[in-house]
Amino acid sequence: MTTRFNNLPTLKVDAGEKVPFTYKGKKFYGAKGDTIATALYANGIRIYARSLKYHRPRGFYSMDGECSNTMMEVDGVPNVRTETTYLKPNMVIKEQNVKGSADKDMMGFMDKMDWAMPAGFYYDVMHKPAKIWPIAQKQIRKAAGIGALSPDYIMPGKYDEIYPNCEICVIGGGPAGMTAALAAAESGKRVILMEVRPWLGGNFEYRSAKYADGMSYNERAVQLAKEVEACENIRVFLSTANVGVYNNNLVTGFQIGEEKDVFTERYVEIRANSVVVATGCIERPLLFDNNERPGVMQAGTALRMATTYGLLPGKRAVFSIGHDLGLEAAVTLFDLGMKIEMLADIREDGQDPELEKAIQARGITLLKGWVAATANGRKQVQSVTMTTVDGTVSRDIECDLLVASAGFTPLTGPLVVNQAKLKYDSHTNFFLPTDIPERMYAAGRLLGYEDGASIEASGRVAGYEAIGDAAKADAAKKALSELPGPARGCKLINAPVKGRKSFICFDEDTTIKNVKQSIDKGFDVPELIKRFSGAGLGPGQFGIPGHNLPLYTAKYQAQPEVKIRPTTVRPPLVPTNLATYAGTNHNMFKITPIDDLQKKDGGIFRNIGVWQRARYFSNDLTCKAEIENVRENVGMLDGSTLGKFRIHGPDAEKALQRVYISDMSKCKDGRVKYTAMCNDDGCVIDDGVVIKNGENDYYFTTSTGRAGQTVEWIRYHTRYDGWDFSIVNLTDSMGVINLSGPNARKVLEKVTDTDVSNEGFGFSEYKEFSIGGIPVRAMRLGFVGELSYEFHVPSSYMKSLWLMLWEAGKEFNIMNFGVEAQNVLRMEKCHIILGQETEQRTNLLDAGLGFLWARKLSEWKKVGAVALRQAEGDESRLTLVGFKMENKHRAPRDGALIVDDKVRGYIATARDSFALGEAVGMALVEKHMSKVGTRLSIFEDECNGNLIYGKVVPMPFYDPEGKRMKM
Amino acid sequence: MALTLTCPICGERNGYEFRYGGEEKGPRPEEDGLTPEKWVEYVHMNECKAGVQEEWWFHRDGCGSWFKTFRDTTTNLEQKQEG
Repeated sequence: MTTRFNNLPTLKVDAGEKVPFTYKGKKFYGAKGDTIATALYANGIRIYARSLKYHRPRGFYSMDGECSNTMMEVDGVPNVRTETTYLKPNMVIKEQNVKGSADKDMMGFMDKMDWAMPAGFYYDVMHKPAKIWPIAQKQIRKAAGIGALSPDYIMPGKYDEIYPNCEICVIGGGPAGMTAALAAAESGKRVILMEVRPWLGGNFEYRSAKYADGMSYNERAVQLAKEVEACENIRVFLSTANVGVYNNNLVTGFQIGEEKDVFTERYVEIRANSVVVATGCIERPLLFDNNERPGVMQAGTALRMATTYGLLPGKRAVFSIGHDLGLEAAVTLFDLGMKIEMLADIREDGQDPELEKAIQARGITLLKGWVAATANGRKQVQSVTMTTVDGTVSRDIECDLLVASAGFTPLTGPLVVNQAKLKYDSHTNFFLPTDIPERMYAAGRLLGYEDGASIEASGRVAGYEAIGDAAKADAAKKALSELPGPARGCKLINAPVKGRKSFICFDEDTTIKNVKQSIDKGFDVPELIKRFSGAGLGPGQFGIPGHNLPLYTAKYQAQPEVKIRPTTVRPPLVPTNLATYAGTNHNMFKITPIDDLQKKDGGIFRNIGVWQRARYFSNDLTCKAEIENVRENVGMLDGSTLGKFRIHGPDAEKALQRVYISDMSKCKDGRVKYTAMCNDDGCVIDDGVVIKNGENDYYFTTSTGRAGQTVEWIRYHTRYDGWDFSIVNLTDSMGVINLSGPNARKVLEKVTDTDVSNEGFGFSEYKEFSIGGIPVRAMRLGFVGELSYEFHVPSSYMKSLWLMLWEAGKEFNIMNFGVEAQNVLRMEKCHIILGQETEQRTNLLDAGLGFLWARKLSEWKKVGAVALRQAEGDESRLTLVGFKMENKHRAPRDGALIVDDKVRGYIATARDSFALGEAVGMALVEKHMSKVGTRLSIFEDECNGNLIYGKVVPMPFYDPEGKRMKM
Repeated sequence: MALTLTCPICGERNGYEFRYGGEEKGPRPEEDGLTPEKWVEYVHMNECKAGVQEEWWFHRDGCGSWFKTFRDTTTNLEQKQEG
């Protein structure tokens, strides 16, 4: 392992603390604070991957994920950007897209095959004849690509989401972002500051050069970060990459969790009044031959590797740069012990005189107007052919590191995805944002400022503008105008070479030659060249080709740059994990108050809507024992999922008149009223019972599935009336026990002194009494067709009541019954379940519930009444019928179709009934088929044309007089 | 995307908390003499305006109230009305 610097103030690694990891099956150590890529670099790894198409060796080039050079498989996850991913103990790291290894790749010969693979070659060659394409595609997929994901891989970790809001959101925690946040925070407004790195400071953070007298850039960054941290109304999101900005200033980001966090990664969605974009710049690659050979590195990357991670990136370096940060990097790296073989600046003039002095003082020769033409060395840089910008003089220089950078590229992504336009600016050589949307501001280096004070001042302007403080903003603008303006950008795009191996896009292996080929084929604008040659379609998006592609296109076509537009940038601005979008996969459901008892009794549970309920109590899915016990003895069902509500207030009855289809003024004390709700099309959406507790005070139930929408529904349909009533959703605070069977009364008599005889508590009556001190609301209903009591009690009493009834019922052979048994029991009685015997189009009349409708009460404007009046007598509608099967024990599947030459209806529910000794069911059929005796031909999925037959019979099937439930 | 709404009780909140309740069409019509055409017009037909429209929203994950507001359907921004 290379020795590291351990005494620099800018360091973010602790070389003393070793972090073990596995690379290609061998154990290595990195330092605490390392990224995966720096840890590998420290261990002498120089070739990280092979490229997509040509399998060229690729190394450490950028540091902010601009290209896929350092993508690797980490812990089974492919395409991890190791240059931005921090090392964790015991990570398992592998190379990808190699046959053999990155160092010795058997596919390496592909690099020499480039003549056979011009831009878009697969469009041209491999479609003639058309049938070879599937074969060719398979081979291309095998040879090209990046990482591969195992299909059964499950992403570990916890994925979270957060939706904060604020007055001002600042994207970018560099000097401009921090000053913008601090300026905005002066107003006391809430500010969110979002930074992709795990620390604040941006491009000041890693620079030890002089910021002002007695202070380095790094010290200034630390000072600003302290101010931000001390400011109570600035909330900082570190390790949070900005992913998108949408209209009305919705800012999204992905945050990487630290060790102490409960999430691995989380989605952050910020609603902000104003947004300040201070994302700064990345470097614009210099185009020369083999410009992506391992050993070639951006100036900022070389500098940060030393100052942040304590690693000297090479021993003998050649610099070919076009900006002052490059010169500063040379000086800093020289001071750290790097030998500088040649320092070439593309610019003929315009260098910072103080930097020039520093370079002279160190005895480094600065050559102006020189540039790298070719990086030599088969797998790593061994020498560089340097040339004058005009290409007339050249010289080979031996080195192990080539620091190359043409200029800067502003990170305008957040502005552009929110519909700002870009316009070429010849002074900075940037595409600068124009038509920036309302309440969005740009600041800092992305506008071209390079002077430290100017960067901060522009942040201050944006901060004051974001809070709408015109006076302070004007003062800040004046201050900014007295400081150095945007710096002049280096204009050179490519070295004077032909460009067969000059890569404009690393991810997609697109060379200058490919761009020329595309243009010559007629793809004359960057957006088309991007599609045809692939430049910019890789994971780094605009990172590498973003500026060079449009600029080179203009140059090759001999057009002025101003006419050229860069390609469109779209969210996500950085590659993101689908797992984070998906969030945590909660299997969320509600449980009833006696869930544990039901489990203990062997309940087999199913998710039904938002609930989990016991569907069966044995592995016999026909539920024979449960059903027969209810018919012969007594059974108990946990019905707590039923929707339960109280509605009260001066206008409560009016509200019920509006939403229920029956005349609700006929609710009588001590009686249970069964009724239904329709929607405005007359389609029945809910049924339940209503109990009058007092004047304008009602208790009512809804089906399980409707409980969540009931309050909203009633309030919606009374929204114009200004009626005064309150609705309380008691669904979760009340439990329900259904005690059914011929022995139900005997059980109940054992636990209460109240008269529960048929005379004292008759069918369809409501009574409040106590069972062993527990206050119960009891109803006599007959859903399952037997003598039946339904007890509504506060949830906290549910368990006690259940156990009391269970104990009392033992001598009568009491048993549980589940949802499926109930389904069969009620089907035999032809009691419908909405959603099973009805669907969205079934109206009240179709379902045979027309008797509920109080048709004369038009003054209440009942929901559904108008449509029902219009649908009445419509012969084209489906109607609910009962049927028996010709083959006595062959029940059709629920949902099977009823057909003749057309589909005429479908089976709602059908079962082989134990009580009746034959298969029966209900079906929705066309009206002309609803007459008793009509033969129904039933088509089941995969029946191979073998229809089964039934015939329409009167309903209900079981106990047609209803004696059993009224006994 | 990025919808923020102002609930009269809870104030400005994330659009995900609300449920859309349709265009403002006035109270339910009188039922006497109501033709099927007029009823369908009231229940199902919408103006689908490209611009500022008055509409109903329900604060589902909040106070549970229905309220009317103006929204520009082309920008998805709520419009504060004067007066």
